[in-house]
Amino acid sequence: MRELASLQARFGAGLDAQDLDADAPEMFIGEAAHVRNRFGIYRGNTLANATRAIEAAYPVIAKIVGADFFSGLARQYRSRFPSQNGDLNEYGESFAAFLAEFPPAGEMPYLADVARLEWQVHRAHYAADPAPFDPARLAALSPEQQLQLRPRLHPACRVLHSAYPLARLWEVHQDTFSGEFEVDLSRGPTHALVFRPRFRVDVAQIGDAEAAFLGAALDGETLETALTAAQSRDASFDLGRSLGGWFGTSVIVDFKLNGG
Amino acid sequence: MSPLNAPESSAAVRGVGIGLRAAHYREFLDSRPRADWLEVHSENYFGDGGYDLHVLEHVRGRYPVSLHGVALSLGSADGVRQGHLAKLKRLVDRIEPALVSEHLCWAALGPRHFNDLLPLPYTRAALDQVVAHVTLVQETLRRRILIENVSSYLQFRASEMSEFAFLAELAKRSGCSILLDVNNVFVNSVNHGFDPVKALHEIPEGAVGEIHLAGHCAAGDMLIDDHGSRVVPPVWKLYQKACRRFGSIPTLIEWDTSIPPLEVLLDEAAMAARISQAEYA
Repeated sequence: MRELASLQARFGAGLDAQDLDADAPEMFIGEAAHVRNRFGIYRGNTLANATRAIEAAYPVIAKIVGADFFSGLARQYRSRFPSQNGDLNEYGESFAAFLAEFPPAGEMPYLADVARLEWQVHRAHYAADPAPFDPARLAALSPEQQLQLRPRLHPACRVLHSAYPLARLWEVHQDTFSGEFEVDLSRGPTHALVFRPRFRVDVAQIGDAEAAFLGAALDGETLETALTAAQSRDASFDLGRSLGGWFGTSVIVDFKLNGG
Repeated sequence: MSPLNAPESSAAVRGVGIGLRAAHYREFLDSRPRADWLEVHSENYFGDGGYDLHVLEHVRGRYPVSLHGVALSLGSADGVRQGHLAKLKRLVDRIEPALVSEHLCWAALGPRHFNDLLPLPYTRAALDQVVAHVTLVQETLRRRILIENVSSYLQFRASEMSEFAFLAELAKRSGCSILLDVNNVFVNSVNHGFDPVKALHEIPEGAVGEIHLAGHCAAGDMLIDDHGSRVVPPVWKLYQKACRRFGSIPTLIEWDTSIPPLEVLLDEAAMAARISQAEYA
C-alpha cells in the first residue's frame, strides 16, 4: 500500500498548496502544463466545496462583510483549518476563533460573537428531535417534589453571552426581516437564546434572570436551583409564566425526575 | 450471513428516479410528485434529527429511497473512516433504504478530508485495498452496496488496467453491484480519449444494479461533470446502448447545481423511461 499512500499524499499536498510540486505532474499521463491545468479542476472543486460549507453555516457574517471579503475569509479559514470530516455540515466550527484573531476583521469586534451564534444556529438545525412530553407522569408529585425536577432543554437550545446586542445583530440580517435596519452596538452586554420550535431555528434576546435559569437547566440543575439563580438576578422572575412560554416554544421539552 | 445472501432489496426499485434536493422538499411534503423512486446524498442526513431527516422519513413511506454516499472514501490508502461508517450505519438502520451506494474514488488521507471524488490509480494493489474496504462496509451494513464509476480529469501513469476493468473485478471479488454512471463514462471518454461503447463492454452484463444520468459542461478541451444541466444527446445515445446491454436497470436523474423546477427533472425522467422501455419492451 506504500505506493497508493504516497500517490495520495502527493495528490493531497497539491490540493492544499498553490501549485503542484515540480515533479508531481509525472504521476499523471500527459504533458506537465496539461496536467497542471487539469489538476486545477480538483483544486478548485475542493476549495469550492469547503467555501460553500462555510457560506451555508455563516450567512449573516457573509451579509455583514459582503460576498468578496467573505470568500477571502473562507479561503483563509480553509488554509488554517482544513476539513477533517466527510460531513461538510460539521465543517466550520473554529470560524469564530479564526475571526477573533484575523487582523482585517478587527474593525468589527462583534464579528466573532456573531460567528459563535451562527455556529450554534447551524448545529441546531441538525440536533435531535425531542420525544413527546407526557405531563401525566408529573401530576402526582407534591410541590416540594416538583421543585426537585430537572428541566430538560431541547437538544438544539444554547444560551450565549455577548458584549454586543447579538440577537438583534442576527435578526436584522435575516432574509425575512422587514423592520428598521438599525443596531445600537452600545446596547450590550446581552444574552441570546438559540431554540428550535418544530424544525425552524430561531434566536431571541433574553434577560439576565432567564439566562441564569436556562444556564442552570443546561447544566442539569433542579428547578429549585435554577429558580434561585434566576431570582438572584431578578427578584420578580415569574417561574410559571416563563415555563409556560418555554414549553410553548419547545425550549423546555421535558422534566427529569430527580436522579432519574 | 454473507452480504451476498442478504435480501436483494433493489428488487423494490424500478423505473426512473430523481435526486431529492432541499429545493424540492416542499413539493414532496405537500403532494406526491410522480417519480418512481428517490435518491439522496447520505451525508446530508448524518445529523441526529431536524428538518432534513423529517423530510426523508416522510418520503421513505411513499417512495423507494436510495442512499448515495459521497464521502466514505473507499479508496483511501489508510483505511475506511470508522466514524463515518458508523454514521452511515445509523442512517441505514433508520431509513432502511432500498439501495445503498458509494463511489470508486478516494477523498481522505490521514486527518484530512478533501470532500471531493478523487481518482485512483487502477493498480492490483489498489484493487486489493478497495475490495477489503467494500467488504468491510458490506459486512458492517449487512447488505450489498453499489459502487459507481466517477468522472475524472487526470489518469495516473501507475494504472495497470482501465477504470471499468477495475470496477468489474471489484464487483466479482467483493460481491458488490455496479452503479453505472453513463454521463461519467461519456465525460471520461472525452477527457481521456477512449471509446465509451467499448468501455460499457468491459462491464459484465449482470453486474449493473443502477444507472445514473446527469448533465455536464465543457471547459476548453475537457468536460466537467457539474450535474447542472439536462442530459446531452450523446449521453442519451450511450444510455440507449447501456439499456440494450444491461437490460431494464433502475435509472436516476441527478441534478446538483443550478437546480431547476421539479418539472424539469420529471421531464428528464420521462425521457429516460421512454428510452429504457423502447430498448427493453
